Amino acid sequence: MEQAHSMTDEGEAGRRALWIMLRSVKGVICQGPKLDSGYFLHASARAWLSAAVNQDVQIPAEKPRTVFRTSESNPANHAEQHEGQHYSIPLQEVKVVFPHGLPCRFQMQMRTFNESCLMVRKPALELLGYLKNTSFAHPAIRYVIYGEKGTGKTMTLCHAVHYCAKQDWLVLHIPDAHLWVKNCRELMQSSYNKERFDQPLEASTWLKNFKTSNDHFLKEIKTQQTYMWSKRESTEKGRPLGEVVEQGLTRVKNASDAVGVVLKELKKQCPLGSFRLLVAVDGINALWGRTTLRKKDKSAVSPEELTLVHNLRKMVVNDWNGGAIVTTLSQTGSLFKPRSAYLPHELLGKEGFDTLDPFIPIQVSNYSQREFESCYQYYLDRKWLQHERASTEEGRKELLFLSNSNPWQMERISAYL
Amino acid sequence: MAAAVRRVLRASRAWSAAPRARAAPGAQTLRLIYTTTAVQKRNVAASGPEKYTEAFIKNQIEEFNLGKRHLANMMGEDPETFTQEDIDKAIAYLFPSGLFEKRARPIMKHPTEIFPKQKAIQWGEDHRPFHFLFYTGKQSFYSLMHEIYGKLLDIQKYEDHLRAQSLLAENRKLINLIGSRWLIKEELEEMLVEKLSDHDYSMCIQLLERLVTLPCCGIEEEYVLKFRRELSIQLKKMVIEPLQYDEQGVAFSTGEGKRKTSRATAVIYDNGSGKITVNGVDYLYYFPVMQDREQLMFPFQFLDRLGIHDMICTVSGGGRSSQAGAIRLASARALCSFITENEVEFMRQAGLLTADPRVRERKKPGQEGARRKFTWKKR
Repeated sequence: MEQAHSMTDEGEAGRRALWIMLRSVKGVICQGPKLDSGYFLHASARAWLSAAVNQDVQIPAEKPRTVFRTSESNPANHAEQHEGQHYSIPLQEVKVVFPHGLPCRFQMQMRTFNESCLMVRKPALELLGYLKNTSFAHPAIRYVIYGEKGTGKTMTLCHAVHYCAKQDWLVLHIPDAHLWVKNCRELMQSSYNKERFDQPLEASTWLKNFKTSNDHFLKEIKTQQTYMWSKRESTEKGRPLGEVVEQGLTRVKNASDAVGVVLKELKKQCPLGSFRLLVAVDGINALWGRTTLRKKDKSAVSPEELTLVHNLRKMVVNDWNGGAIVTTLSQTGSLFKPRSAYLPHELLGKEGFDTLDPFIPIQVSNYSQREFESCYQYYLDRKWLQHERASTEEGRKELLFLSNSNPWQMERISAYL
Repeated sequence: MAAAVRRVLRASRAWSAAPRARAAPGAQTLRLIYTTTAVQKRNVAASGPEKYTEAFIKNQIEEFNLGKRHLANMMGEDPETFTQEDIDKAIAYLFPSGLFEKRARPIMKHPTEIFPKQKAIQWGEDHRPFHFLFYTGKQSFYSLMHEIYGKLLDIQKYEDHLRAQSLLAENRKLINLIGSRWLIKEELEEMLVEKLSDHDYSMCIQLLERLVTLPCCGIEEEYVLKFRRELSIQLKKMVIEPLQYDEQGVAFSTGEGKRKTSRATAVIYDNGSGKITVNGVDYLYYFPVMQDREQLMFPFQFLDRLGIHDMICTVSGGGRSSQAGAIRLASARALCSFITENEVEFMRQAGLLTADPRVRERKKPGQEGARRKFTWKKR
């Protein structure tokens, strides 16, 4: 690029050669999607402008490329200037941090595009700001992310989880609490407490994913109590927590109790300060709603009769310190709630609201103009919108109208094009 | 019109030959866009001898007039200024009928409208016909052709006369034919009280056209206008409301629309950002199906005004699809106030301003549904 400044004083032929060279260099830049567009575009624009001033050749006016990507892949450094831009998470990291957190449509998109890109949005930035300023001496603050259907609550939660994982917190991520209160195939009576019911399948899946994401912590944290699983099996005091998880995985019958033990230990040990804990629950309104499960005598099971739900409720209460609790309300998987309900008191009910009170509400809404533009450019760049009219201005307006800037709707419509 | 129209007498011989199907270049074969009552009535005229005698018709007319005066008295109106419209209203009031078929309801009209026009007996006591063209079979038609041709010859004679006095250039009189159409075949049949063939009809119209192209045809304008009917222009019927302004000075306009059993009203505001609220709910949540949202989008997209207007609408009745259609019509009508006349015409041709007339068809007895019959069993 520096050559440009020296060569512009030479003759016409020199200028022409310079122009051709710049054009070829710019072609190289255009082909590399992984390069940080910000830096190179700026540099080439500078050289271009300085060359253009001294040249007589007519250059067609370049449309400014909307910057929709950022290379800042550490959520800790995300600030307002990154708002509306996509940042990508390396796939290896995704496997470790999100074994079970991302929405399934996003996972399909990840597989198609071969990269996972999250958009940085204002609610997420707000939440990250609060998390950065948490004081670990005070009780854990509860954050409730709420909003209309399809506005990006789960993605905001995943952004926060990624941040905490990068900051080396212990992340307790429950992907969808609704899965624990419906469609359970095996419901067993709990051995620990005769009143309650166990869900071995859900508990074992969760333990497996928990192990993947927090392996290194499980070796360090030691149990503070002996746990008897049966007459022959027990975990002694002082053993690493990983053994409890192993026990849950191998003896599937005890998986729910293993989950309860893990939660109890973490809650007890977090105030001691050796690690920071993030409890991330998606669809927390499931814990206080109704279930579709039935007992053997066809009477309904209420949520507190399930071991998993009971233990999770204890976790979400803010009588411990040293971490944060981030939750999301979700109408999509909820049971017996109308489609238009999205406010906390509608979805949580009186009991849930009282338990979670006080909390910090964070509202997520549809895309703003800038964010919509960014999403649209991203899909165009990934060649996801194949329709010939999709890249025109009218096509953009049509998409904007049909989706009303709703992220979920936009994603579904783009999938058809 | 270059084609030489054969003289009537010579043509009568030619017509009896093989029928020529090709239409001469000047003739107007009118495509029936909308019908008149002439088409629907049976042409009783040409079928057989008189059913109603003249005396009978005269009797009926007297009775009708008397009855009209009685009716006026009954209703407390002035018998002298009692028009046909007043008669219709009075009958509808005195004999209310719930029948759906309008033609089956009680009517009281002048006997000439009720009894079809008939030909009087065309021969005398000595069984000799009155008209000299009786034996052609279509006496009134041929006499009409004679008459028109006679007029044509008169105009030519007048022209020659003017040309001799070299006053032709100043005295051009033409008939204004804009905004009217020739009679259709059924109307001509009704006028002549005689059955015609398509060929006869086209011959008559060709002759009239030829007459109209002559420079001095203005002399016979009154006669020619008997064969013309007024055309009413479609678009003039639609009234476009002017824009209204609310307190902040933002321009808005309202429109109403309906489809099946849904009724919708839409208020469109200027200086908006493309927000649409239906019954207080955002349109994305009121119409989760994309098809309905596409229907809402159509008027705006057609006029390329997608992100410019805000809309607030209310809708009731019907199902999701018919509600979407009703809102579409209402918003198109409201948008008419914001756009130019040409664009309104484009919208009309695109079908955005026409109310969809399709309604649910009634179920008939003996069938399972409106069209579906019961399963046919052989035995």
